[in-house]
This record gives sequence, structure tokens and C-alpha cells, in this order.
Amino acid sequence: MSIQIEGISKQYGSFSALSDVSMTIEAGELVALLGPSGSGKTTLLRIIAGLEWPDSGSILLHGEAAAQQSASRRGIGFVFQHYALFRHMTIFENVAFGLRVQTMPRRPARAEIRERVQELLHLVQLDSFAKMYPEQLSGGQRQRVALARALAVRPKVLLLDEPFSALDAKVRKELRDWLRRIHDELHVTTVLVTHDQEEALEVADRVAILNHGKVEQIGTPQAIYDHPASPFVYDFLGNVNLFHGRLLAELSLDGPTGGMESHVESVIGFVRPHELELSRNLPEGQKAVLASVVRIHAAGPRVRLELSITGNGRPVAAELSRQRSEQLALTPGEFVFVWPQSIRLFDDAGAAAHLLDQGAGI
Amino acid sequence: MSGRNGLVSSAMLEPTVSQRLGRGALIVVALLFLGGFLILPVVAVFAQALSQGWKFYFESIRQEDVLSALRLTALVASIAVPLNVVFGIAASWAITRFDFRGKNLLITLIDIPLSVSPVVAGMMYVEVFGLHGWLGPWLSEHNLHVIFAVPGIVLATVFVTFPFVARELIPFLQAQGSDEEVAAVVLGANGWNVFWRITLPNIKWALLYGTILAASRSIGEFGAVSVVSGHIRGQTTTLPLEVEMLYNEYSFTAAFAAASLLTLAAIVTLVIKKMIEVTSGWHEAPGEEEVES
Repeated sequence: MSIQIEGISKQYGSFSALSDVSMTIEAGELVALLGPSGSGKTTLLRIIAGLEWPDSGSILLHGEAAAQQSASRRGIGFVFQHYALFRHMTIFENVAFGLRVQTMPRRPARAEIRERVQELLHLVQLDSFAKMYPEQLSGGQRQRVALARALAVRPKVLLLDEPFSALDAKVRKELRDWLRRIHDELHVTTVLVTHDQEEALEVADRVAILNHGKVEQIGTPQAIYDHPASPFVYDFLGNVNLFHGRLLAELSLDGPTGGMESHVESVIGFVRPHELELSRNLPEGQKAVLASVVRIHAAGPRVRLELSITGNGRPVAAELSRQRSEQLALTPGEFVFVWPQSIRLFDDAGAAAHLLDQGAGI
Repeated sequence: MSGRNGLVSSAMLEPTVSQRLGRGALIVVALLFLGGFLILPVVAVFAQALSQGWKFYFESIRQEDVLSALRLTALVASIAVPLNVVFGIAASWAITRFDFRGKNLLITLIDIPLSVSPVVAGMMYVEVFGLHGWLGPWLSEHNLHVIFAVPGIVLATVFVTFPFVARELIPFLQAQGSDEEVAAVVLGANGWNVFWRITLPNIKWALLYGTILAASRSIGEFGAVSVVSGHIRGQTTTLPLEVEMLYNEYSFTAAFAAASLLTLAAIVTLVIKKMIEVTSGWHEAPGEEEVES
């Protein structure tokens, strides 16, 4: 079932949780709503679920306006951050709850409920836990029960509100992969709210990045990572180096994207650590800055370096492959030339973005 | 170990001599106080009640007036307590689950019976329902008796006991949050199902605890009931009023015999309360957080 979100706004007193948010989520898609806390992502999810009401705008579920439908009639599965399992019921009863409370013509027979619950417990690999109570389960297991419970009523839409954020890193990773497998099996339209960019980029078909109640960008994980639409998105999606600088006259003319407005002078350049090139010798014609090596973190598949720009002392993070690092054999305290292989420039307002080639005037 | 460090870490380490002395002194003071002000008087009640032997004790209790007072007290409690349970659940649910204008006012109002003297409560009802009160003429026209009759006693008892259930439930519901109820709603449950299947099972111990407190107060209430009762023997006299009347008539042993019934009721209440705490593991750790494993 597709979800159309049209011009949703929501105020809490003077705080604007959502302002004029629109997006379309296709049937069978897994979309992540990604943003920092207070960005409005959870509010949007709760509005889709019918747990909150927008001040203006509308939600269309499969083309039908949802405003008249209460949360209990929208056919939605909801998974909460803190599981919200019924603590006085066994795991079996938790999963069966949604089926048991259905009104008579729709309520399945006892045997049918039993079969469905067992099928779901099998799906979440908790077959042997049916008779236990939630407090006897680990966090990861509880969240799997919560998912089984949500799926029991065969929801047309599955909504997950930071489902893995209360779990430790290893369990979080496992559940993330597992959620994706379940989604690929069931193809239920899924909206996942998270503040973890890695989670969003890894699991989702498309990612919507929210900030201050507005959608900053929406697109496939790769598109968002490779072409961030704003400084916020750039910053939010991972480690980044900021270079403040002035755009030189010839750059504004020669830039490959062309058309840079002449009044844009002061710019901020964003470079990811792995986009930095390091060398002891400066190749001919290459513009670069000189930096000293502060620290080298060699544990892991990539070698991370902390550098300090000579002159202003600004810190810069660089990331090299193991091979390249061994080639360079840098030691702390050494001086090295640094230049970006690619850089993305934004003006002060963060509005105009121009992808330039290497050597843009730092 | 210096005094200050000792205080901070006294739970972990061996206490020093001065700490042991201090602790001992505090325990002695507490025990003396309890002994002098609580245990001794309770013992005195039973001693006085039995001072003329068991036979006289049972005869005193079996007097028609005492028995009728006992019946009236039971009747009043059996009306007031269920009313309080319903009101307490409704008020605490409304306060913890919804945001509305006047919510803080409602929370304050619930506490009024605890802060106002019961005598004043009784007089308020006399002013409203009494013969010369606001509704008095209308009531007497329709031959309805509230003041100096059983309905007035019930009203006064409901008034003084109505905070008990609500005050137990509000912090409990707040600590528990509404996640489970919201989850049930999203799964398609209607309000009725949510209440009976989710809310009630979760609050049952707190509810029972508050009910016990309300019951014990409604059995023992004196001040408010005294004002509206009219002290008609065998008709509008509850057990606490009967005790006072016997006492004023210099029937000391009979008064203490009746009083011992109230004391027994209090002790039974305490035992039930303790049993709830032990069997439910509740009230020692209210609002226990779910901890990650």
C-alpha cells in the first residue's frame, strides 16, 4: 500500500515539529526517515499511524484519505523504540493480541490464531519462547517479538520508531540485516525512523533526511551519500572536513558546473576523509595545503589520520587504504601535502551547491 | 576515616565506633517513640476491653446497638469503596493519559479531602443538603432524607476517602507510561479491550492497595460522619460513633470492646497491605525501568 504525505504541518506550541512535509512512499518500499532528535521524524511516523493529528495537510493510504480513520482501523503495524510488549502476557499472547481483539466477523478461530502465532514466532526465530514473559527475554529478542506482534494482523504498512536504538551495536547490526530479509520476504510497505545514518543507508530503499521539520533530501542511499543536497546532509551522513575559503575569480568562471553567481565569494568546502590525497611531494600544478601528522589510527581495514593544517592549526581527518598508508609510511610529527580529490562547495547560506574538481581554491 | 567520608561510605564499609553509637541511638529513639505512642496504646485498648473478662467482652460486642453500628459501617464502606474505585480509576486515567484544561486544578482538588478537616467536610454537606441548606427544602418536599440519615453518612465517607485510590494510581500510571496501551490501540483494540486486557492487569496491585487504604479509612471515619449522622442509636450510628457514645455514657469497657473491633480492622488492613507488597513485589520498586540485557 502506498503512502502519500501531502503538505503536513504540525506545531507544538511555538515549536514547529513539521512544516509542509510532502513525500510519496511506494507500495512495498522500505523508506528510512533519518534525522537528528527534534527533526520531526517520529512525529511524522506517528501522524502516518494515526497517533497524532497534523495541523494541516493530509495522508493518503493507498490513495484514500486517512484522516477519518482512527489508528486502530488503519491496518498498521507499529514497532516502538522500547518494545511496549504487554508485560503481563506470555510471548504467545503478545503476538496473538491483535488477532484476539478483532471484532467477530473478522476474528480468526482459535486454531487459526494458534497457527498464525506459531508461524510468526518461527519467522522471528523465537519458536521456543512462546510460554515465556517479556522480562525473561533480551532486548533483541523482545524487539523481534514486537515485530511479530505487529505483523500478526497482516498490516498493509509497517512503521518502526527507532526500533534498534536501545540495543547494543552488535545486536543492532544483526537485527538490521534481519529486518531487511523479512522485508524482502513479505514486501510490506515499511517506514523506519532512525537517527543512525549507517542504519538508514544500509537498510532502506530510499532515505528521507529531515531537519527542523523539513525534508532536506530524499533519494536512494547512494544518491544521498554521493550528492548531498545541503551542508546539513553532508555533515549528517558521516565524517567530513570543512574548509572555509574564498572562491577565486577564475574558479567561478572555469568551474565545471558553470554559472556560479559572482556574488558568491565566501564558501565552505566539504571533503570526506577518504577523498583527501596525501603526498610528501607536491605534484606539478597541484594546489595543496601543508599539514602535520598528529596521530595515526591503524587498527581496522582503513587507516585514519589526524592532521593539523600548518598555519591555522585546523584539524583535518584523512582516511587511506592500508596499501597507500604502507606506501607513504608516515610517522606522527611529519609534514605532508594534502589536497582533495573532490570537494563540494556551498555558499554561506548553504543554498547554492557546486561540485568542483580537485584543487578548488581552499 | 574522617566523619564526612564515613557518612558517605557507611553503607559499604565497616562502621566506626561513633557511627555505631549514632545508629544505636537513633534506633532506640525510634523504638521508644513507637512503643510509647503506638504499641502501648494499642495494647491498652485490648487490655481495657478485656478488663472484665472475655464473657463481658463478647456481650458488649453482641449488644444490638453495637451490632447495628457494625452493620451500618459495613454498608457505608461497601458503597463508598466501590464508588472510590470507579472515581479513582477514572480520575487517574484522565490525568495521566490526556492533556486537558484544568488538569492541574483536578489534581489539586483530589487532595482537598486530605487537607481539609473532616468536620468541615461534614458541615459542607449539612449546608448543601440540610433542612435549611440549599437543596434542603426541595429534598424534604420529595421526602428524601440525606442529613441525619444513611445517605449523608455515605456522602461524607465518600468525600473523605476519595483521594486514596487516585493517589495510588496516578504515580503508578505515570511511571508505567502509555506505550502498551498505544500498542494495543494500533493493533486494533477498542477502549474496552485496552482497559480490561492491558491497563487493569497492570495496575491491579496498585488498585488493590489504594482500595485497602480507602476501605480502612471509610471504616474508621469519625469527624465528617459525626456531623451529618445525628447520632440516632441503631439507625445512623457507625462503629466509631458508637464507641464515642458508649464512652460518653461512662460504659468504658463496652466502649473499648467496640474500639477493639476497629483496631482489629486496622491490623487486618496492615497485614493485607504487607501481603500485597510482598506477593506483588510492588511498591518497593515502583516504575521499575526495563533494563537492557
